[in-house]
Amino acid sequence: MPSNPSMSAAIVGAAESDQIGYIEEGTTDQILHIQAISNVCAQVGISPSEIEGIFSVGYSTNIAEYLGLHPKYIDTTGVGGCSFQMHVHHAMAAINAGIIDIAVVSHGESGYSGGRKNRGRGRNRGAGGSDPWQPASMFADPYGAAGAPSNYSHAMTRHMHNYGTSHKDFAQIAVTTRDWATLNPRAVMHSKETNPYGGKITIDDVENSRLISWPLHLLDCCLVTDHGGAVIVASAERARSFKTKPVWIAGAAESMSHQNMMEMDDFTRTSAPESSLAAYKMAGMGPREMEMAMIYDSFTITAAITAEMLGLAKRGEGPSLWEGGKAGPGGSGIPVNTNGGGLSFSHSGMYGMMLLVEAYRQLSGTAEDGVHGLPGKQTNAKTAIVNGTGGSLSVTGTLVLVADD
Amino acid sequence: MAYNKPIPDPDPYTTQPFWDGAKAGKLMLPRCTNCNRAHFYPRMICPHCYSRQIEWFEASGEGWIHTFAVQHRAFGGWADDVPFVTAYIDLKEGDRMFTVLRGVDAAKPETIKVGASVKIEFEEASETVSIPFWRVV
Repeated sequence: MPSNPSMSAAIVGAAESDQIGYIEEGTTDQILHIQAISNVCAQVGISPSEIEGIFSVGYSTNIAEYLGLHPKYIDTTGVGGCSFQMHVHHAMAAINAGIIDIAVVSHGESGYSGGRKNRGRGRNRGAGGSDPWQPASMFADPYGAAGAPSNYSHAMTRHMHNYGTSHKDFAQIAVTTRDWATLNPRAVMHSKETNPYGGKITIDDVENSRLISWPLHLLDCCLVTDHGGAVIVASAERARSFKTKPVWIAGAAESMSHQNMMEMDDFTRTSAPESSLAAYKMAGMGPREMEMAMIYDSFTITAAITAEMLGLAKRGEGPSLWEGGKAGPGGSGIPVNTNGGGLSFSHSGMYGMMLLVEAYRQLSGTAEDGVHGLPGKQTNAKTAIVNGTGGSLSVTGTLVLVADD
Repeated sequence: MAYNKPIPDPDPYTTQPFWDGAKAGKLMLPRCTNCNRAHFYPRMICPHCYSRQIEWFEASGEGWIHTFAVQHRAFGGWADDVPFVTAYIDLKEGDRMFTVLRGVDAAKPETIKVGASVKIEFEEASETVSIPFWRVV
Protein backbone atom coordinates (compact mmCIF):
# COMPACT_ATOMS: atom_id res chain seq x y z
CA MET A 1 0.00 0.00 0.00
CA PRO A 2 1.33 3.47 -0.83
CA SER A 3 1.73 5.75 2.17
CA ASN A 4 -0.65 8.62 2.93
CA PRO A 5 0.93 11.64 1.19
CA SER A 6 -0.40 14.02 3.87
CA MET A 7 2.37 16.40 5.02
CA SER A 8 4.85 14.98 2.50
CA ALA A 9 5.07 18.42 0.90
CA ALA A 10 4.58 22.05 1.84
CA ILE A 11 3.97 25.36 0.16
CA VAL A 12 7.09 27.33 1.06
CA GLY A 13 6.42 30.62 -0.69
CA ALA A 14 3.72 32.55 -2.52
CA ALA A 15 4.04 35.71 -4.55
CA GLU A 16 2.36 37.85 -7.16
CA SER A 17 3.42 39.53 -10.37
CA ASP A 18 4.83 43.08 -10.03
CA GLN A 19 1.47 44.54 -11.02
CA ILE A 20 -2.01 43.10 -10.57
CA GLY A 21 -5.47 44.46 -11.32
CA TYR A 22 -6.34 46.68 -14.25
CA ILE A 23 -2.99 47.18 -15.97
CA GLU A 24 -3.89 50.02 -18.32
CA GLU A 25 -0.62 49.97 -20.26
CA GLY A 26 -1.27 46.32 -21.11
CA THR A 27 0.53 43.12 -20.21
CA THR A 28 0.83 39.51 -21.32
CA ASP A 29 0.41 36.12 -19.69
CA GLN A 30 4.14 35.56 -20.08
CA ILE A 31 5.11 38.75 -18.28
CA LEU A 32 2.77 37.91 -15.39
CA HIS A 33 4.08 34.34 -15.09
CA ILE A 34 7.74 35.28 -15.13
CA GLN A 35 7.39 38.19 -12.70
CA ALA A 36 5.53 35.98 -10.24
CA ILE A 37 8.10 33.18 -10.48
CA SER A 38 10.97 35.62 -10.12
CA ASN A 39 9.29 37.14 -7.07
CA VAL A 40 8.51 33.85 -5.36
CA CYS A 41 12.04 32.52 -5.92
CA ALA A 42 13.48 35.68 -4.37
CA GLN A 43 11.10 35.33 -1.43
CA VAL A 44 11.97 31.68 -0.83
CA GLY A 45 15.65 32.25 -1.47
CA ILE A 46 16.19 29.89 -4.38
CA SER A 47 17.35 30.33 -7.93
CA PRO A 48 14.78 29.49 -10.62
CA SER A 49 17.35 26.93 -11.78
CA GLU A 50 16.46 24.85 -8.70
CA ILE A 51 12.91 24.32 -9.95
CA GLU A 52 12.47 20.68 -10.96
CA GLY A 53 8.78 20.59 -11.79
CA ILE A 54 6.57 23.17 -13.52
CA PHE A 55 2.80 23.23 -13.08
CA SER A 56 0.65 25.72 -14.96
CA VAL A 57 -2.46 26.02 -17.10
CA GLY A 58 -0.96 25.11 -20.44
CA TYR A 59 2.09 27.35 -20.06
CA SER A 60 4.78 25.13 -18.57
CA THR A 61 6.94 24.77 -21.68
CA ASN A 62 6.86 28.53 -22.29
CA ILE A 63 7.99 29.11 -18.73
CA ALA A 64 10.75 26.50 -18.92
CA GLU A 65 12.08 27.86 -22.21
CA TYR A 66 11.98 31.48 -21.03
CA LEU A 67 13.94 30.60 -17.90
CA GLY A 68 16.21 28.07 -19.61
CA LEU A 69 14.95 25.22 -17.41
CA HIS A 70 14.86 21.53 -18.22
CA PRO A 71 12.24 20.27 -15.76
CA LYS A 72 11.86 16.65 -14.73
CA TYR A 73 8.13 17.02 -14.32
CA ILE A 74 5.82 19.02 -16.61
CA ASP A 75 2.13 19.47 -15.88
CA THR A 76 -0.25 21.68 -17.86
CA THR A 77 -3.58 20.79 -16.28
CA GLY A 78 -6.07 23.39 -17.45
CA VAL A 79 -9.57 22.73 -16.21
CA GLY A 80 -10.54 26.25 -15.23
CA GLY A 81 -10.01 28.27 -12.12
CA CYS A 82 -9.46 25.29 -9.83
CA SER A 83 -6.48 24.08 -11.85
CA PHE A 84 -4.05 25.53 -9.29
CA GLN A 85 -5.47 23.51 -6.41
CA MET A 86 -4.98 20.47 -8.64
CA HIS A 87 -1.45 21.57 -9.52
CA VAL A 88 -0.60 21.56 -5.82
CA HIS A 89 -2.21 18.13 -5.53
CA HIS A 90 -0.19 16.88 -8.50
CA ALA A 91 3.04 18.47 -7.26
CA MET A 92 2.57 16.80 -3.89
CA ALA A 93 2.04 13.46 -5.65
CA ALA A 94 5.18 13.93 -7.76
CA ILE A 95 7.16 14.87 -4.66
CA ASN A 96 5.72 11.99 -2.65
CA ALA A 97 6.70 9.65 -5.50
CA GLY A 98 10.28 10.85 -5.17
CA ILE A 99 10.45 12.32 -8.67
CA ILE A 100 11.07 15.95 -7.67
CA ASP A 101 11.77 18.01 -4.54
CA ILE A 102 10.93 21.52 -5.69
CA ALA A 103 8.00 22.54 -7.89
CA VAL A 104 6.61 25.84 -9.02
CA VAL A 105 2.90 26.34 -9.62
CA SER A 106 2.50 29.40 -11.78
CA HIS A 107 -0.32 31.57 -13.05
CA GLY A 108 -0.24 34.43 -15.53
CA GLU A 109 -3.43 35.68 -17.10
CA SER A 110 -4.06 39.00 -18.77
CA GLY A 111 -7.80 38.73 -18.27
CA TYR A 112 -8.25 42.49 -18.52
CA SER A 113 -5.56 43.46 -21.04
CA GLY A 114 -6.12 40.37 -23.16
CA GLY A 115 -9.86 40.82 -22.93
CA ARG A 116 -9.53 44.32 -24.35
CA LYS A 117 -7.55 42.95 -27.28
CA ASN A 118 -10.32 40.44 -27.94
CA ARG A 119 -13.29 42.69 -27.23
CA GLY A 120 -16.36 41.90 -29.28
CA ARG A 121 -15.17 38.48 -30.35
CA GLY A 122 -17.55 36.81 -27.92
CA ARG A 123 -14.84 34.52 -26.65
CA ASN A 124 -15.29 32.13 -23.74
CA ARG A 125 -18.89 31.36 -24.49
CA GLY A 126 -18.82 28.24 -22.40
CA ALA A 127 -17.09 24.93 -22.03
CA GLY A 128 -16.46 22.81 -25.05
CA GLY A 129 -14.28 25.00 -27.21
CA SER A 130 -14.95 26.45 -30.61
CA ASP A 131 -14.93 23.27 -32.71
CA PRO A 132 -18.37 23.50 -34.37
CA TRP A 133 -18.96 19.77 -33.90
CA GLN A 134 -18.46 19.90 -30.15
CA PRO A 135 -21.66 19.45 -28.11
CA ALA A 136 -21.43 22.95 -26.65
CA SER A 137 -21.05 24.53 -30.08
CA MET A 138 -24.06 22.67 -31.38
CA PHE A 139 -26.45 22.65 -28.44
CA ALA A 140 -25.48 25.61 -26.21
CA ASP A 141 -23.85 28.34 -28.29
CA PRO A 142 -26.90 28.84 -30.56
CA TYR A 143 -28.79 30.16 -27.53
CA GLY A 144 -26.83 33.29 -26.82
CA ALA A 145 -25.33 32.48 -23.43
CA ALA A 146 -22.34 34.78 -23.03
CA GLY A 147 -19.74 33.24 -20.74
CA ALA A 148 -19.74 32.18 -17.13
CA PRO A 149 -22.27 34.61 -15.58
CA SER A 150 -24.95 33.66 -18.11
CA ASN A 151 -24.60 30.03 -17.04
CA TYR A 152 -24.03 30.34 -13.28
CA SER A 153 -27.19 32.42 -12.95
CA HIS A 154 -29.22 29.27 -13.68
CA ALA A 155 -27.74 27.69 -10.55
CA MET A 156 -28.86 30.60 -8.39
CA THR A 157 -32.41 30.36 -9.76
CA ARG A 158 -32.53 26.68 -8.92
CA HIS A 159 -31.06 27.27 -5.45
CA MET A 160 -33.81 29.82 -4.79
CA HIS A 161 -36.42 27.33 -6.03
CA ASN A 162 -35.13 24.38 -4.00
CA TYR A 163 -34.33 26.15 -0.75
CA GLY A 164 -36.31 29.39 -0.70
CA THR A 165 -33.22 31.56 -0.69
CA SER A 166 -33.46 35.10 -2.02
CA HIS A 167 -31.05 37.34 -3.88
CA LYS A 168 -30.63 39.32 -0.68
CA ASP A 169 -29.14 36.25 1.03
CA PHE A 170 -26.48 36.02 -1.65
CA ALA A 171 -25.86 39.78 -1.65
CA GLN A 172 -24.47 39.48 1.88
CA ILE A 173 -21.57 37.47 0.48
CA ALA A 174 -20.57 40.34 -1.81
CA VAL A 175 -20.86 42.84 1.06
CA THR A 176 -18.73 40.83 3.51
CA THR A 177 -16.13 40.03 0.87
CA ARG A 178 -15.89 43.74 0.05
CA ASP A 179 -15.31 44.43 3.76
CA TRP A 180 -12.17 42.27 3.54
CA ALA A 181 -11.08 44.12 0.41
CA THR A 182 -11.21 47.42 2.26
CA LEU A 183 -8.46 46.04 4.53
CA ASN A 184 -6.28 44.96 1.59
CA PRO A 185 -4.71 47.94 -0.20
CA ARG A 186 -3.75 45.68 -3.12
CA ALA A 187 -7.42 44.87 -3.75
CA VAL A 188 -8.88 46.48 -6.85
CA MET A 189 -11.97 47.50 -4.87
CA HIS A 190 -10.10 48.52 -1.68
CA SER A 191 -11.26 52.13 -1.76
CA LYS A 192 -12.29 55.05 -3.91
CA GLU A 193 -8.55 55.69 -4.36
CA THR A 194 -7.95 52.28 -5.95
CA ASN A 195 -11.11 52.33 -8.06
CA PRO A 196 -14.04 54.75 -8.50
CA TYR A 197 -16.36 51.89 -7.51
CA GLY A 198 -14.20 50.73 -4.60
CA GLY A 199 -14.84 50.92 -0.86
CA LYS A 200 -17.60 49.52 1.30
CA ILE A 201 -20.89 48.43 -0.24
CA THR A 202 -24.30 47.58 1.17
CA ILE A 203 -26.84 44.88 0.40
CA ASP A 204 -28.90 47.56 -1.36
CA ASP A 205 -25.90 48.40 -3.54
CA VAL A 206 -25.70 44.77 -4.65
CA GLU A 207 -29.46 44.53 -5.20
CA ASN A 208 -29.53 47.79 -7.16
CA SER A 209 -26.47 47.09 -9.31
CA ARG A 210 -27.34 46.41 -12.91
CA LEU A 211 -28.50 42.97 -13.99
CA ILE A 212 -25.98 40.85 -15.86
CA SER A 213 -27.89 37.59 -15.97
CA TRP A 214 -30.86 37.56 -13.63
CA PRO A 215 -30.71 36.73 -10.78
CA LEU A 216 -27.02 37.73 -10.92
CA HIS A 217 -26.38 41.44 -10.60
CA LEU A 218 -23.06 43.11 -11.40
CA LEU A 219 -21.91 42.99 -7.78
CA ASP A 220 -22.60 39.24 -7.61
CA CYS A 221 -19.91 38.80 -10.26
CA CYS A 222 -16.14 38.63 -9.94
CA LEU A 223 -13.76 41.14 -11.44
CA VAL A 224 -11.88 40.49 -14.67
CA THR A 225 -8.33 41.65 -14.08
CA ASP A 226 -4.72 40.96 -14.99
CA HIS A 227 -3.00 38.75 -12.46
CA GLY A 228 0.12 36.67 -12.03
CA GLY A 229 0.97 34.48 -9.07
CA ALA A 230 3.25 31.62 -8.17
CA VAL A 231 3.84 29.28 -5.27
CA ILE A 232 6.75 26.96 -4.56
CA VAL A 233 5.91 23.46 -3.36
CA ALA A 234 8.75 21.57 -1.71
CA SER A 235 9.31 18.14 -0.19
CA ALA A 236 9.10 17.71 3.59
CA GLU A 237 12.86 17.13 3.63
CA ARG A 238 13.52 20.50 2.01
CA ALA A 239 10.60 22.49 3.41
CA ARG A 240 12.43 23.96 6.40
CA SER A 241 15.63 24.81 4.49
CA PHE A 242 14.39 28.07 2.99
CA LYS A 243 14.12 31.71 4.13
CA THR A 244 10.36 31.29 4.41
CA LYS A 245 8.02 29.29 6.63
CA PRO A 246 6.38 26.14 5.27
CA VAL A 247 2.62 25.78 5.14
CA TRP A 248 1.87 22.08 5.10
CA ILE A 249 -0.35 20.28 2.63
CA ALA A 250 -2.34 18.09 4.97
CA GLY A 251 -4.95 17.10 2.44
CA ALA A 252 -5.42 17.43 -1.30
CA ALA A 253 -7.94 16.02 -3.74
CA GLU A 254 -9.87 16.78 -6.89
CA SER A 255 -13.08 15.77 -8.61
CA MET A 256 -15.49 16.76 -11.36
CA SER A 257 -19.12 16.29 -12.25
CA HIS A 258 -19.50 17.46 -15.85
CA GLN A 259 -18.03 19.65 -18.57
CA ASN A 260 -21.06 21.28 -20.19
CA MET A 261 -23.70 22.86 -17.98
CA MET A 262 -26.46 20.93 -19.80
CA GLU A 263 -24.92 17.81 -18.23
CA MET A 264 -25.05 19.24 -14.69
CA ASP A 265 -27.34 16.85 -12.87
CA ASP A 266 -28.09 18.95 -9.78
CA PHE A 267 -27.68 22.70 -10.29
CA THR A 268 -27.14 23.24 -6.57
CA ARG A 269 -24.31 20.74 -6.19
CA THR A 270 -20.69 20.72 -7.36
CA SER A 271 -18.16 17.91 -7.03
CA ALA A 272 -16.66 19.57 -3.95
CA PRO A 273 -18.21 17.02 -1.54
CA GLU A 274 -16.07 14.41 -3.28
CA SER A 275 -12.89 16.50 -3.44
CA SER A 276 -13.24 17.92 0.06
CA LEU A 277 -14.15 14.60 1.67
CA ALA A 278 -11.02 13.03 0.18
CA ALA A 279 -8.90 16.01 1.26
CA TYR A 280 -10.35 15.99 4.80
CA LYS A 281 -9.77 12.24 4.98
CA MET A 282 -6.15 12.58 3.90
CA ALA A 283 -5.67 15.33 6.47
CA GLY A 284 -7.45 13.46 9.24
CA MET A 285 -9.49 16.58 9.89
CA GLY A 286 -13.00 17.82 9.20
CA PRO A 287 -14.84 21.05 8.49
CA ARG A 288 -15.13 21.95 12.20
CA GLU A 289 -11.35 22.09 12.44
CA MET A 290 -11.00 24.60 9.62
CA GLU A 291 -10.14 28.01 11.08
CA MET A 292 -10.47 29.88 7.83
CA ALA A 293 -11.68 29.22 4.30
CA MET A 294 -10.57 30.40 0.90
CA ILE A 295 -13.57 29.70 -1.30
CA TYR A 296 -13.66 30.38 -5.01
CA ASP A 297 -16.11 33.25 -5.48
CA SER A 298 -16.45 33.69 -9.20
CA PHE A 299 -20.01 34.61 -8.28
CA THR A 300 -21.86 34.85 -4.99
CA ILE A 301 -23.72 31.65 -5.91
CA THR A 302 -20.40 29.81 -6.40
CA ALA A 303 -19.28 30.73 -2.90
CA ALA A 304 -22.64 29.87 -1.35
CA ILE A 305 -22.92 26.42 -2.93
CA THR A 306 -19.28 25.68 -2.14
CA ALA A 307 -19.77 26.53 1.54
CA GLU A 308 -22.43 23.82 1.58
CA MET A 309 -20.32 21.35 -0.33
CA LEU A 310 -17.36 21.76 2.06
CA GLY A 311 -19.52 21.10 5.11
CA LEU A 312 -19.16 24.69 6.34
CA ALA A 313 -22.91 25.35 6.01
CA LYS A 314 -26.01 23.17 5.83
CA ARG A 315 -27.34 22.17 2.43
CA GLY A 316 -29.43 25.01 1.09
CA GLU A 317 -28.04 27.44 3.67
CA GLY A 318 -24.72 28.39 2.08
CA PRO A 319 -25.20 32.14 2.55
CA SER A 320 -25.53 31.57 6.31
CA LEU A 321 -21.73 31.34 6.51
CA TRP A 322 -21.63 35.08 5.72
CA GLU A 323 -24.93 36.12 7.34
CA GLY A 324 -24.65 39.43 9.15
CA GLY A 325 -20.96 39.65 8.30
CA LYS A 326 -20.04 36.51 10.27
CA ALA A 327 -17.26 35.58 7.82
CA GLY A 328 -15.97 39.14 7.66
CA PRO A 329 -13.36 41.09 9.59
CA GLY A 330 -14.04 40.67 13.33
CA GLY A 331 -16.99 38.43 12.57
CA SER A 332 -18.23 35.64 14.86
CA GLY A 333 -17.59 32.88 12.31
CA ILE A 334 -14.48 31.73 10.49
CA PRO A 335 -12.82 34.28 8.22
CA VAL A 336 -13.60 33.62 4.55
CA ASN A 337 -11.79 35.10 1.55
CA THR A 338 -9.59 37.42 3.58
CA ASN A 339 -7.97 38.99 0.50
CA GLY A 340 -11.27 40.42 -0.70
CA GLY A 341 -12.05 37.51 -2.99
CA GLY A 342 -12.48 37.28 -6.70
CA LEU A 343 -15.41 39.60 -6.14
CA SER A 344 -13.34 42.53 -4.86
CA PHE A 345 -9.59 41.72 -4.77
CA SER A 346 -8.62 40.42 -8.20
CA HIS A 347 -9.85 37.72 -10.58
CA SER A 348 -8.17 37.25 -13.93
CA GLY A 349 -10.48 34.51 -15.21
CA MET A 350 -8.90 31.67 -13.27
CA TYR A 351 -8.83 32.66 -9.61
CA GLY A 352 -7.37 29.56 -7.95
CA MET A 353 -3.86 30.99 -7.61
CA MET A 354 -5.13 33.94 -5.57
CA LEU A 355 -6.72 31.47 -3.14
CA LEU A 356 -3.35 29.76 -2.70
CA VAL A 357 -1.32 32.93 -2.25
CA GLU A 358 -3.67 34.32 0.39
CA ALA A 359 -3.92 31.00 2.26
CA TYR A 360 -0.11 30.82 2.36
CA ARG A 361 0.17 34.36 3.71
CA GLN A 362 -2.41 33.78 6.40
CA LEU A 363 -0.99 30.47 7.61
CA SER A 364 2.64 31.59 7.43
CA GLY A 365 1.75 34.70 9.42
CA THR A 366 3.05 37.00 6.71
CA ALA A 367 -0.18 38.68 5.64
CA GLU A 368 0.87 41.97 7.19
CA ASP A 369 4.46 41.90 5.93
CA GLY A 370 3.27 43.71 2.87
CA VAL A 371 3.64 43.27 -0.84
CA HIS A 372 5.23 46.25 -2.57
CA GLY A 373 4.76 48.04 0.75
CA LEU A 374 1.07 47.17 0.98
CA PRO A 375 0.13 44.91 3.93
CA GLY A 376 -2.95 42.73 4.13
CA LYS A 377 -4.94 41.78 7.22
CA GLN A 378 -3.61 38.92 9.34
CA THR A 379 -5.99 36.45 10.98
CA ASN A 380 -5.23 33.92 13.72
CA ALA A 381 -6.05 30.88 11.59
CA LYS A 382 -3.72 27.87 11.74
CA THR A 383 -5.75 25.67 9.41
CA ALA A 384 -7.45 26.51 6.13
CA ILE A 385 -9.66 24.85 3.60
CA VAL A 386 -8.97 26.06 0.08
CA ASN A 387 -11.42 25.13 -2.63
CA GLY A 388 -11.27 25.98 -6.29
CA THR A 389 -14.28 25.64 -8.59
CA GLY A 390 -13.68 25.64 -12.31
CA GLY A 391 -15.44 25.35 -15.62
CA SER A 392 -19.22 25.59 -15.37
CA LEU A 393 -19.54 24.70 -11.65
CA SER A 394 -18.08 21.47 -12.92
CA VAL A 395 -14.59 20.81 -11.59
CA THR A 396 -13.24 21.18 -8.06
CA GLY A 397 -9.91 20.97 -6.28
CA THR A 398 -9.63 21.07 -2.50
CA LEU A 399 -6.65 21.56 -0.21
CA VAL A 400 -6.43 21.36 3.56
CA LEU A 401 -3.47 23.47 4.65
CA VAL A 402 -1.96 23.78 8.13
CA ALA A 403 0.52 26.19 9.68
CA ASP A 404 3.98 24.99 10.75
CA ASP A 405 3.49 25.52 14.49
CA MET B 1 -34.72 39.01 -42.38
CA ALA B 2 -31.99 36.41 -42.45
CA TYR B 3 -31.35 34.56 -39.22
CA ASN B 4 -28.53 36.53 -37.53
CA LYS B 5 -27.60 34.26 -34.62
CA PRO B 6 -25.20 31.31 -34.39
CA ILE B 7 -26.33 28.43 -36.59
CA PRO B 8 -25.19 24.92 -35.65
CA ASP B 9 -23.03 23.03 -38.12
CA PRO B 10 -24.42 19.44 -38.06
CA ASP B 11 -21.76 16.76 -38.09
CA PRO B 12 -22.32 13.70 -40.29
CA TYR B 13 -21.19 11.22 -37.63
CA THR B 14 -23.40 11.63 -34.59
CA THR B 15 -26.02 14.36 -34.78
CA GLN B 16 -27.36 14.34 -38.36
CA PRO B 17 -30.62 12.50 -37.46
CA PHE B 18 -31.31 15.17 -34.83
CA TRP B 19 -30.98 17.94 -37.40
CA ASP B 20 -32.91 16.02 -40.06
CA GLY B 21 -35.70 15.72 -37.49
CA ALA B 22 -35.53 19.38 -36.60
CA LYS B 23 -35.85 20.28 -40.27
CA ALA B 24 -39.04 18.21 -40.36
CA GLY B 25 -40.35 19.75 -37.13
CA LYS B 26 -39.66 16.69 -34.98
CA LEU B 27 -37.56 16.23 -31.86
CA MET B 28 -35.44 13.15 -32.56
CA LEU B 29 -33.51 11.69 -29.64
CA PRO B 30 -30.90 8.95 -29.49
CA ARG B 31 -31.70 5.83 -27.50
CA CYS B 32 -29.56 2.85 -26.68
CA THR B 33 -31.03 -0.45 -27.92
CA ASN B 34 -29.11 -2.33 -25.25
CA CYS B 35 -30.36 -0.54 -22.09
CA ASN B 36 -33.28 1.28 -23.74
CA ARG B 37 -32.38 4.66 -22.21
CA ALA B 38 -32.48 7.94 -24.15
CA HIS B 39 -29.75 10.50 -23.79
CA PHE B 40 -28.91 14.04 -24.82
CA TYR B 41 -26.59 15.49 -26.15
CA PRO B 42 -26.25 12.82 -28.85
CA ARG B 43 -23.30 10.48 -28.43
CA MET B 44 -21.79 7.67 -30.43
CA ILE B 45 -21.71 5.57 -27.27
CA CYS B 46 -24.43 5.16 -24.62
CA PRO B 47 -23.37 7.13 -21.52
CA HIS B 48 -25.34 4.70 -19.33
CA CYS B 49 -24.14 1.26 -20.49
CA TYR B 50 -21.44 2.10 -23.09
CA SER B 51 -23.12 0.17 -25.86
CA ARG B 52 -22.58 1.60 -29.34
CA GLN B 53 -25.99 0.36 -30.53
CA ILE B 54 -27.80 3.69 -30.78
CA GLU B 55 -31.14 4.22 -32.53
CA TRP B 56 -33.16 7.39 -33.03
CA PHE B 57 -36.82 7.88 -32.12
CA GLU B 58 -39.29 10.73 -32.26
CA ALA B 59 -39.71 12.18 -28.79
CA SER B 60 -42.82 13.89 -27.44
CA GLY B 61 -41.37 17.37 -27.62
CA GLU B 62 -42.70 17.95 -24.12
CA GLY B 63 -40.79 18.89 -21.01
CA TRP B 64 -40.52 21.15 -17.98
CA ILE B 65 -38.37 24.10 -16.97
CA HIS B 66 -35.57 22.83 -14.75
CA THR B 67 -34.12 26.28 -14.19
CA PHE B 68 -33.79 29.56 -16.06
CA ALA B 69 -32.07 32.94 -16.19
CA VAL B 70 -32.67 36.28 -17.88
CA GLN B 71 -29.77 37.36 -20.06
CA HIS B 72 -29.10 41.09 -20.00
CA ARG B 73 -25.77 40.89 -21.78
CA ALA B 74 -25.11 39.01 -25.01
CA PHE B 75 -22.97 39.11 -28.13
CA GLY B 76 -23.55 38.92 -31.87
CA GLY B 77 -27.13 38.58 -33.05
CA TRP B 78 -28.35 37.90 -29.53
CA ALA B 79 -27.21 41.33 -28.36
CA ASP B 80 -30.26 42.82 -30.13
CA ASP B 81 -32.61 40.58 -28.17
CA VAL B 82 -31.67 41.35 -24.56
CA PRO B 83 -33.25 40.79 -22.18
CA PHE B 84 -34.16 37.23 -23.14
CA VAL B 85 -34.76 34.10 -21.08
CA THR B 86 -32.54 31.02 -21.28
CA ALA B 87 -33.53 27.76 -19.65
CA TYR B 88 -32.55 24.19 -19.09
CA ILE B 89 -35.42 21.88 -20.04
CA ASP B 90 -36.06 18.48 -18.49
CA LEU B 91 -37.26 16.28 -21.33
CA LYS B 92 -40.23 13.98 -20.78
CA GLU B 93 -38.03 11.15 -22.08
CA GLY B 94 -35.23 12.01 -19.63
CA ASP B 95 -32.08 14.12 -19.80
CA ARG B 96 -31.91 17.83 -20.47
CA MET B 97 -31.60 20.51 -23.18
CA PHE B 98 -30.55 24.17 -23.11
CA THR B 99 -32.72 26.70 -24.92
CA VAL B 100 -34.02 30.21 -25.25
CA LEU B 101 -37.46 30.15 -23.72
CA ARG B 102 -40.42 31.59 -25.59
CA GLY B 103 -43.80 32.73 -24.35
CA VAL B 104 -42.37 34.38 -21.22
CA ASP B 105 -41.86 37.98 -20.11
CA ALA B 106 -38.13 38.62 -19.55
CA ALA B 107 -38.99 41.80 -17.66
CA LYS B 108 -40.95 39.77 -15.08
CA PRO B 109 -38.80 36.77 -14.07
CA GLU B 110 -40.95 36.29 -10.98
CA THR B 111 -43.76 35.16 -13.30
CA ILE B 112 -41.64 32.36 -14.81
CA LYS B 113 -41.91 29.12 -12.87
CA VAL B 114 -39.46 26.28 -12.45
CA GLY B 115 -41.42 23.16 -13.32
CA ALA B 116 -43.69 24.88 -15.85
CA SER B 117 -44.64 22.76 -18.86
CA VAL B 118 -43.00 23.59 -22.16
CA LYS B 119 -43.32 22.36 -25.73
CA ILE B 120 -40.74 22.34 -28.49
CA GLU B 121 -40.90 24.39 -31.69
CA PHE B 122 -38.40 24.88 -34.48
CA GLU B 123 -37.14 27.99 -36.25
CA GLU B 124 -35.73 27.75 -39.74
CA ALA B 125 -32.25 29.31 -39.48
CA SER B 126 -30.96 28.31 -42.90
CA GLU B 127 -31.94 26.11 -45.82
CA THR B 128 -30.53 23.09 -44.03
CA VAL B 129 -30.76 23.84 -40.32
CA SER B 130 -33.77 24.47 -38.10
CA ILE B 131 -33.09 25.24 -34.44
CA PRO B 132 -35.23 23.92 -31.59
CA PHE B 133 -36.69 26.36 -29.07
CA TRP B 134 -39.06 25.70 -26.20
CA ARG B 135 -42.25 27.60 -25.40
CA VAL B 136 -44.19 27.73 -22.15
CA VAL B 137 -47.64 26.20 -22.70
